[in-house]
Amino acid sequence: MSTMPAAGDEPELLERFNARITSGDQIEAGEWMPAQYRFEAQRLIQMHANSEIMGALPEREWIPRAPTLARKMALTAKVQDEVGHGMLLYRVAETLGRPREEMYAELVEGRARFHNVFHYPADTWADVAIIQVFVDGAAMQTQGALRSCSYAPYSRVLKRICYEEDFHIQLGLDVWRALAEGTPAQRAMLQDALDRWWTPIIHFFGMPDKVSPHTETMLAWRLKVKSNEELRQQFLRRFVPIIFEYGLVVPDPGLRWVDAEQRYVYTEPDWDELKRVGRNGGPKSAERLALRQSFYRQHAWVREALSRWSTAA
Amino acid sequence: MTVPAPSSTITDPTVRAAFQEWLVRIADDELAIGHRHSEWTGVGPDIESDVAMSSIAQEELGHARLFYEQLSGEESGGADRLAFGRRPEEFRNAVLLEQPNQGWEFSIVRLVLYEAYETLRLGLLAQCGQEPVAGLAATLGREERYHGLFGATWLERLARPPADARARVQAALDAAWPYALGFFETTDADGVLLRAGLLPDPAERQLDAWEAAVRPLLERCALAPPAGRPCLGGRRGIHTPALTEMHAAMTEVWASDPEARW
Amino acid sequence: MEHRGVTPRPADVPWVRTLEAPDGVWAVFLQARRRDAHVYVGDVHAPDAEMALVLAKENYARRDPCVSLWVVPARAIRATAGDAAEMFEPATDKSYRFGGSYRQQQRVYRGGYHAAPTEDDR
Repeated sequence: MSTMPAAGDEPELLERFNARITSGDQIEAGEWMPAQYRFEAQRLIQMHANSEIMGALPEREWIPRAPTLARKMALTAKVQDEVGHGMLLYRVAETLGRPREEMYAELVEGRARFHNVFHYPADTWADVAIIQVFVDGAAMQTQGALRSCSYAPYSRVLKRICYEEDFHIQLGLDVWRALAEGTPAQRAMLQDALDRWWTPIIHFFGMPDKVSPHTETMLAWRLKVKSNEELRQQFLRRFVPIIFEYGLVVPDPGLRWVDAEQRYVYTEPDWDELKRVGRNGGPKSAERLALRQSFYRQHAWVREALSRWSTAA
Repeated sequence: MTVPAPSSTITDPTVRAAFQEWLVRIADDELAIGHRHSEWTGVGPDIESDVAMSSIAQEELGHARLFYEQLSGEESGGADRLAFGRRPEEFRNAVLLEQPNQGWEFSIVRLVLYEAYETLRLGLLAQCGQEPVAGLAATLGREERYHGLFGATWLERLARPPADARARVQAALDAAWPYALGFFETTDADGVLLRAGLLPDPAERQLDAWEAAVRPLLERCALAPPAGRPCLGGRRGIHTPALTEMHAAMTEVWASDPEARW
Repeated sequence: MEHRGVTPRPADVPWVRTLEAPDGVWAVFLQARRRDAHVYVGDVHAPDAEMALVLAKENYARRDPCVSLWVVPARAIRATAGDAAEMFEPATDKSYRFGGSYRQQQRVYRGGYHAAPTEDDR
């Protein structure tokens, strides 16, 4: 890179870089950045991209089985959006130095991470409603906060993603409402799905942050904007009322609002489960990675054909 | 919006039944291909093509819904009842369209063959004089044009380079072509429509027009249609296990309670 | 305006850069309606221009109105370097480019426009 500074320039560049971020400025692609910032930003964005691509898998199982033509089209469009988000996010991660093909191959080979929620099964049609309202709702909290992150390309893409996720939640609420106001069997299916998804959703935000140098750096560099617990509480404030409004039961009997503290208390989930799942040890991790690998191999000749075409062109 | 049933101005019951049969073929074709295309969502060969194919799937499903709505008239939920409530043997789609996605090359070949057929068919429908379907047919052609572009662009890139890639595409064409001839399978309805002036061309002429439309692209790709007999049955409700499997999946949730609101 | 010391820039520090995009990345420009300018909306990966256009339609114009698309290999784009932004900031009074200070003249000029239209104006 022609503007790579000489080693002696780094402390001054780092100081200027930190000052820019502290003043609320954003960093553009191609600008100088410390190696650690590049590493952290790239890893964060890549994991987000991976999650969109893997997140398509549980929901796409229901496209063939969607119970009306309208639901079929809407669900196809929703999953399409997730794939499109993956496309946008890989491009952002790519600006930090890794080719898309390399990141994608790493994901498919099981060497990369994606969010915990996408390691769980989508057993019934009602799971689609839960995913679209609560899982997307959870993701919205993080994505919304990161719109003010310091890496400008990520911030811009997140604005577009949040705009589209808004539709997804509205869509999800329509499916939710049809089931919640439907037959006893439909209500039971919805409650059952909610019960099964609750813990993974609470896990999604991560453990309450320890005070650690890593967390401090991420916050200082605005690659993290709100704490895990802040985001989880934000989610609970916005989404628990929906459960009550439709007369369904919050799966955690220990969840309650504490007025004095202005927050929800909840039963501490098993954090070991989150760690296991994060290492691709969730109930559906192996199966979904295998599906990705199978298609990746099946399409190898297509990629080869296209690359020969573009060299000849 | 209350829309009159398309055949309401046809007084002869035989002609009306024949016209509805034609519309059922169109709706069932679009539903079958829309369903198969939609199965690529999330697992396409590259992210951008995954997204584009998914749009094509949604549009075909949208077309199916339009035609089912035309057939069911003002009845609310009628389109879904037609799509989900009939038995496999009541479907009139061409068998090619119910077949599973046997690889990206098969889906692209199928898309190319079907889009050429659909474009010509919509052209015929646009001339039938029955509103509102004639008007609808003219509008839908806009979306089909993009589908054709997508298919042709992909086919050229799959079939051109070295021999092994083209061989796969040729194999897909060999498998698909005899079933594509099933687009033109006729029943008594075709004769009725011809005599009533609702169809301008008999099936043989439609087949010729279709072949003339696809040959230039196939030649550009150094692909050749196979010889051999057409594989028929779809227009008469004789389908393959692929439709049974597709139908079972498609109706699984709906059938658990057809009276429920989903 | 913040006072910065004037450090002479070494002559060989480039102010023009590439976007350092990999091969196969195409920048997409979308024209929403006739008469609008084409606006940059993002990138696609594609083996060539034709495929890039085909893919851009569904990847960037699913929801937004669009009448035309351009694609350009991202590698072909030349850009100003980040610190060139400094050059774009006005350092001295440029009000001679704007009519703002000529209040009385503005009133006269605009007054003429609001008078009854003549044949010339139609």
